[in-house]
Amino acid sequence: MTFQAKLALRYMQGRKLRTTLTLIAVMFGVMIVFGFNGILPAMEQALQTNLSAAVEKVDLTITSESRGAFDASAVTLVRETPGVALASPSLVRPLLVPTAQAVTAADGTAITSFILRGVQPEQLAELNPVSLADGRLLTDADDHSVLISNNLAQQTGLGVGDTLVLPASTGLLTLEIVGITVGQPPMGSEELIAPLAAAQTVFNLPGQINTIEAKFAPGSDAQTVQQAVLARLGSGYKAGGNEAGSEFATAMETGRLVLSLFGIIAAAMGGFIIFITFRTVVIERRRDIGMLRAIGASRQTILGMILTESLVLGILGTALGLLLGALLAYGLLVGMQPIMENMMHARIGGPSFAPWMFVLAIGMGLGITLLAGLAPALAATRVQPLDALRPSLAEVERRAAGRSAIAGIIIVALAFLTLIAGNVGLAALGIVLFMIGLALIGPALIYPIARLFGRLLSLIFAREGQIAQGNLTRQPGRAAITASAITIGLALLVAMGGLITSLIGGMDGWIAKTLGSDYLFMPQSLVLGGGNIGAGPQLVEQVKTTPGVSQVATLRQTTAKIDGSDLQIVGIDPVTYPQVSGLIFAAGDEAAVYQDMANGRSIVVNGIFAAQSGVKTGDTLSLQTPEGVQAYQVAGIGGDFMNYKIATGYISQANLAQDFHETADLLIMVNQQPGADAAQVDGALRALSRDYPAFSFYSLAEWKTEIGKSLAVFNAMYVLLIVLAIPSLIALINTLAINVLERTREIGTLRAVGATRRQIRRMITAESLLLAATGTVFGLLAGLWLGYILVGAMNLVGLVFPFSYSYAGLLLAIAVGLGFGVIGALIPARQAAQLDIVRALAYE
Amino acid sequence: MSIIKTEQLTKVYGKGATAVTALNGLNIEIQPGEFVAVMGPSGCGKSTLLHLVGGLDKPSNGRVLLDGQDIFRLNDDELTQLRRRQIGLVFQFFNLIPVLEAAENVALPLILDGVKQNDARQKAEAWLARIGLSDRLTHRPDQLSGGQQQRVAIARALVAEPSLILADEPTGNLDSRSADDIALLLRQISEEWNRTVLMVTHDPRIAAHANRIIFLKDGTVVDETRLSSNGHQEEMMVRQKLEVAR
Ligand SMILES: Nc1ncnc2c1ncn2[C@@H]1O[C@H](COP(=O)(O)OP(=O)(O)OP(=O)(O)O)[C@@H](O)[C@H]1O
Ligand SMILES: [Mg+2]
Repeated sequence: MTFQAKLALRYMQGRKLRTTLTLIAVMFGVMIVFGFNGILPAMEQALQTNLSAAVEKVDLTITSESRGAFDASAVTLVRETPGVALASPSLVRPLLVPTAQAVTAADGTAITSFILRGVQPEQLAELNPVSLADGRLLTDADDHSVLISNNLAQQTGLGVGDTLVLPASTGLLTLEIVGITVGQPPMGSEELIAPLAAAQTVFNLPGQINTIEAKFAPGSDAQTVQQAVLARLGSGYKAGGNEAGSEFATAMETGRLVLSLFGIIAAAMGGFIIFITFRTVVIERRRDIGMLRAIGASRQTILGMILTESLVLGILGTALGLLLGALLAYGLLVGMQPIMENMMHARIGGPSFAPWMFVLAIGMGLGITLLAGLAPALAATRVQPLDALRPSLAEVERRAAGRSAIAGIIIVALAFLTLIAGNVGLAALGIVLFMIGLALIGPALIYPIARLFGRLLSLIFAREGQIAQGNLTRQPGRAAITASAITIGLALLVAMGGLITSLIGGMDGWIAKTLGSDYLFMPQSLVLGGGNIGAGPQLVEQVKTTPGVSQVATLRQTTAKIDGSDLQIVGIDPVTYPQVSGLIFAAGDEAAVYQDMANGRSIVVNGIFAAQSGVKTGDTLSLQTPEGVQAYQVAGIGGDFMNYKIATGYISQANLAQDFHETADLLIMVNQQPGADAAQVDGALRALSRDYPAFSFYSLAEWKTEIGKSLAVFNAMYVLLIVLAIPSLIALINTLAINVLERTREIGTLRAVGATRRQIRRMITAESLLLAATGTVFGLLAGLWLGYILVGAMNLVGLVFPFSYSYAGLLLAIAVGLGFGVIGALIPARQAAQLDIVRALAYE
Repeated sequence: MSIIKTEQLTKVYGKGATAVTALNGLNIEIQPGEFVAVMGPSGCGKSTLLHLVGGLDKPSNGRVLLDGQDIFRLNDDELTQLRRRQIGLVFQFFNLIPVLEAAENVALPLILDGVKQNDARQKAEAWLARIGLSDRLTHRPDQLSGGQQQRVAIARALVAEPSLILADEPTGNLDSRSADDIALLLRQISEEWNRTVLMVTHDPRIAAHANRIIFLKDGTVVDETRLSSNGHQEEMMVRQKLEVAR
């Protein structure tokens, strides 16, 4: 073992408490990054109902780049490509059926989640041979037939000759079961195989498909043929199945963004704690280091010693972190199972850890530890031999504090610039810059703040408060480190809290405005991006004529192509829609926009689309429609709650009918007349909804509870917050404990000259409170600002919601900050009070 | 050639009104193998002198020549190496590494110099034996008495076999018997092993062990005495001179 390693190990053994706390800090960072990443694949998999199962037999699968549906005519293009022997179209989508149509299993559970695979029967036989357990395959003559898996048959007792009722745009579609297939169903959902036309009816996508499977002629070069096919199809298509679970993928990306944000913040937090710890280590060992230098240790030796120690801690902490991360992942998945089952109709598998996650977690654990250890280690090399002989360096520290404060202000200013720059990556970098800047400014501000709070504190702790204040201002560097631990921890908590509050508040606002009608008819299986089952005109007519109903507005939906990719198009009535509900605009004058829409081909695009494509008000979009390419003028930027996550354009229903031939109502919003008998209107509409099983009916109150359930997911983020709060507590205890350790001799002297245990305890507590108060003030300010940055970053990617925070949250943050101060002081204060005077005086 | 030579050595701490002149154009010269004690009232610049000679601090003016070499011409690494190989330092407060055992503390300078662990350990144990601590090899500093800790520090100063030992009040924390032991040890170092020893002390009894005593006041040499052999008479003389210097 080298000398450095030996010294490092000895120091670690000699300071068990500190070593343990540092280890926990490293471990925590790694655990969070590793654990969270480990559950993501399982979550994704659960959400991505595996659409293209059993495709081994085909040579090529073609899907749309936007994961949406496309015109069936593309099959002809594929077929015509030289080298292609067979090409078969299919429409494969998840299908959620209303409870009324659910199939009941023997154990009583209702099965509502299916994958409906619409195929051309004769090609199914050749391309994707299906083995049968019973009955027969589909033939071209079938139009209302379906194959179910023997798994489903066994569970439900359904067999050949029975019927299955599915919701469709025209009401209900009854299919006869003609065969039972053998084989494993794709994850989470049962597969139903039906004729393409039936699937198109169910999904209201006449003439549309979303998958082409092809087989190549014998002897042809697969690579060449695939290229030829893609070239012939033009842009907008890709080779490969829809593994990325079509529409859910978009929602997942949002979730991934939020989780990665947590990951980054957790990593930054871990790094900061380690940094703080090693800074304190260097201060604590100033005399030892100076002595080593005096007897001939070179700067490199000192650097090596500190880095070795951080490396050892890094390795140990990382190993433990990986272990606990895996446990965390298992725990979280088990805990989330009921929620997922409930909301997504999906089963979750276990966590999975890809090699890159190990690389990331280990790289982070070791990398951050070394990096965080580097600056303090370099500081250690600057310790002079004379420092072994002279105790205090307050004077020097204060001057250095002034210099680093200037650097800090510059860095914070840079962080602010990254926000203005309007780039998400830069904004994330800005957060890191901001934290570094804050740590640099801290020492310069400790003095005035300690004085300010010190005065308050001396009202409570008359004598000890004075001493405590003196202790802090004497060594501003050390005090600043402790205070900044609280600051950073609290800032992150306040920021994330602010983000979550803003997100939930923003959603509430969006819901109130865009879905705030008295009653709602909503499709049970609302699938974003198209393919829903809408209602024909009769439903709206019936709703309108229901006594007590004043206004009715509907949303219609289809998909257009723009530059080869899909854009969801929502049709609204420019007159009734603003009366009942309304879009939330980020750009454009509301009244004028609706006027434009009524007058001609005007479109409002939502934030996500605007962010992705850089489209501005006044631009012209060339939309590919069934009526050819049509030019739509962008009248404004805005959106509604339902579609805020996916690229959407809003046009008038008149244009939708004219250019897209789409007239089915997807969502019906109803207001009742003032003074009408609510119970009566509610009853009449509810009765009406029973004839349309594809729709759920909600009163405003019901709808709010329903939405509340899905927003409850966001509340889970508060739990993550608490998880993040623990590291700051550790950092705090760590720094306070080191603080006390370092002053062992001083405390011994105080005791020797007559300070009671109680006075020592009160002195340390007063000191901690002072630090906590200081840290809390900074933490609140920094946190609010950081939250603002985070919300800004979200806005940049198109998730537009205003920044808000709750006073209760701020009060809580203050309580947490001060509470941490007291808790963080408990252990060290006890330790200090219990010091054996003789030993303390002998302490080197 | 003299082993230590200072030329117009001046050290001023601070600036402006609060500036303190700790050393004021000091000229001293010490020959190899000499055992020199530095005495003088508190604040006269004794420690400052030792720090400058040991290359721990930089002078405001003047030079320090060790073996004819101006040590402040050296860069930090060269100076560090010089301290490691040529100079042994002993402080008033013992400055042992608290987490290392006695033998490990003594072995430090060798290990820092790249000597193999086993060799370093053997030498360290040999030195501890010579100063009578062979039964305390594996004790940590907090398990040793003050006198024992100081002897460990001296063993550490000697282990690299430097030609020059600098000791700042090595007996300041010790009872008179331990102090005598240390003084005798330092004398033995210069007499038997022919090392140069420069020691700061307040204690005339200890100073009486030296070959020569330099009296400082306000940063300059005010008197100098050569001693032939140690004894009561010499101690009395030193006391007198101290009174005069005061
Ligand atoms: N780092 C410093 N900054 C400012 N002044 C200093 C510093 N170190 C020493 N001094 C001053 O320089 C003068 C000489 O100090 P020095 O430590 O050399 O005295 P000394 O002779 O060793 O005293 P003592 O016998 O008390 O140890 C003193 O007046 C002291 O106040
Ligand atoms: Mg001194």
